[in-house]
Formats: sequence, structure tokens, C-alpha cells
Amino acid sequence: MTEPERYTCEDVFRRLDDFLDRELGPTEMELVQRHLDSCEQCAREHRFEARVIDSIRGKLAHLRAPDLLVKRVSRLLEDEKHRR
Amino acid sequence: MEPGAPPTGAAPPGDETADFERLLMPLLGSAYSTAFRLTRNAADAEDLVQEAVLLACRGFGGFEAGTNFKAWFFRILTNAYFSKYRQQRRRGTAVELEDTPELYLYLQTASLGLHAKVTDPAEALMNRLDAELVGAALQELPDEYRAVAALYFINDMTYDDIAASLDVPIGTVRSRLHRARRMLQRALWRAAQEHGIVADLDAGTA
Repeated sequence: MTEPERYTCEDVFRRLDDFLDRELGPTEMELVQRHLDSCEQCAREHRFEARVIDSIRGKLAHLRAPDLLVKRVSRLLEDEKHRR
Repeated sequence: MEPGAPPTGAAPPGDETADFERLLMPLLGSAYSTAFRLTRNAADAEDLVQEAVLLACRGFGGFEAGTNFKAWFFRILTNAYFSKYRQQRRRGTAVELEDTPELYLYLQTASLGLHAKVTDPAEALMNRLDAELVGAALQELPDEYRAVAALYFINDMTYDDIAASLDVPIGTVRSRLHRARRMLQRALWRAAQEHGIVADLDAGTA
């Protein structure tokens, strides 16, 4: 096994984005989490980034498709059914 | 019949369109939201969605049943967007945005002294930025970054799904998305400065 048992702040910093998106493998996720549990500075940075992402996600949330668009799409698909 | 064999030819054309419709309709809201963020306006977004629907419907024979319909459809939508609207404009601000360092908002709010004043500095800042400002900040990103960010933030897609939707390698998605988030942070900070939000936070009147 070459995997280190502990991550440094630098190791965690380089993996922060992937960690936030849960795109690391299980071992790496675990090692980052373990570091965050014991390092207040990295934990603060992580909390901050996570909060910003959540907030942006909430504010860019779904717009409803306009009724007219839904009608047009339905009509377009009806036409396609008869077209063949 | 082999599992995963294409359904093409098995069902009459009308039925195939009905299958397509059943898969498509629940996605219309996210398709429109994504198209709106890409094209930057409602009329173009509606046109883009309709164009993508028509292309997807006619190409539905090429969709492999049981695979990710959402990624398949969004690939058609983003391709339609890129072939029609790409290179329409380049913003000078984009160059500056591309150099944004990591933890941009964290560092800006820290140097403002906000971290010592409130328990949740991210919330203190983000609460002041409304949906309109966040939408406008996204509009400042160059096409390829905006597309990744829209799929990620609006559709909650994984890197894999975004890669399939944009037909680019997963490594490209990763680097573009990480960068897009930093660019977005910078655009948000600039918006916060321009709207007096930074001054308010500095004065402690937020």
C-alpha cells in the first residue's frame, strides 16, 4: 500500500473541489474527511465553499418551462407521430 | 433478443414517438432552465429547446434503451446550442475571470474581516446576492465554462453525466467545472462590490 494514512492540509486543498462533489474514491473521501475532522482551518474553508455552492445551486434552481413552450413541444411531437 | 438491443424497428413509429415523449416531458423544465442559462434570453431558450426536441425525436432510433436518456438529450441540446450560438461574442471580462485563484470569496471575505465578525461568512455574503445577481454572474462566463456550470448547478449532474452530455472527457469536465466555480466567485464578488454589498458587510450593517 502506497496510500498515506493521513493527508496534509496541502493534500486536502488539492482535493477540495472533488471532495465537495463526492467525486473521490472511497479511501480518498475518508482521508479528506478525517483531516477535516481534525483541522479547523481546512474545515472552515470546506464549509465556506460548500455553503457557496449550495447557495448558487439554490439561486440557479429550475425555471418552469413556459406553458406556451410545453404546448409547442406537444404539438411538434403530434406532428412527428403523423409525419412517418 | 439480446439485452440492450436497440428497440428500433420493433415498435411502430407512432409508438416510438410516444416513448420519446414519455421520457422527454419530465425533462422540459430543466432543459428550458439550462437553455436559458446558455442563450441568456427566454426567446432563444424556447427556440433552442424546440430545435433540440425535434432533432432528438428524429434521432431517437439512435438512443440505446436503458442508457441515460437525460445525458443523451442534453448532448443534443448543447450541440445545437454550440453549433448555432458559439462565437457570437467574447467578453473582455472573461480573460480576467480565467485567472481567478482558489478560495477567492473565502479570501476576499477574510481580508474584509468578516470571518471575525460573523459565524458563517459565506452565508452572510450569499444571503445578500439574489437570484438575479447570481444568474447575471453566470452569464459572464465564457461558453464552455457556462455550459459545464449550468449542467452542474441546475441539473445536479455528476461529472460522468456532464461528460456524456457535452461529449468531452471527464478530466475536461473536472478542470472546467473547478475553474468555472472560481470564475463565478469572482463575478459574484464584483457584483457585490458594485451593488454596495461589500461596503455594507464592511460596515457591519449587513
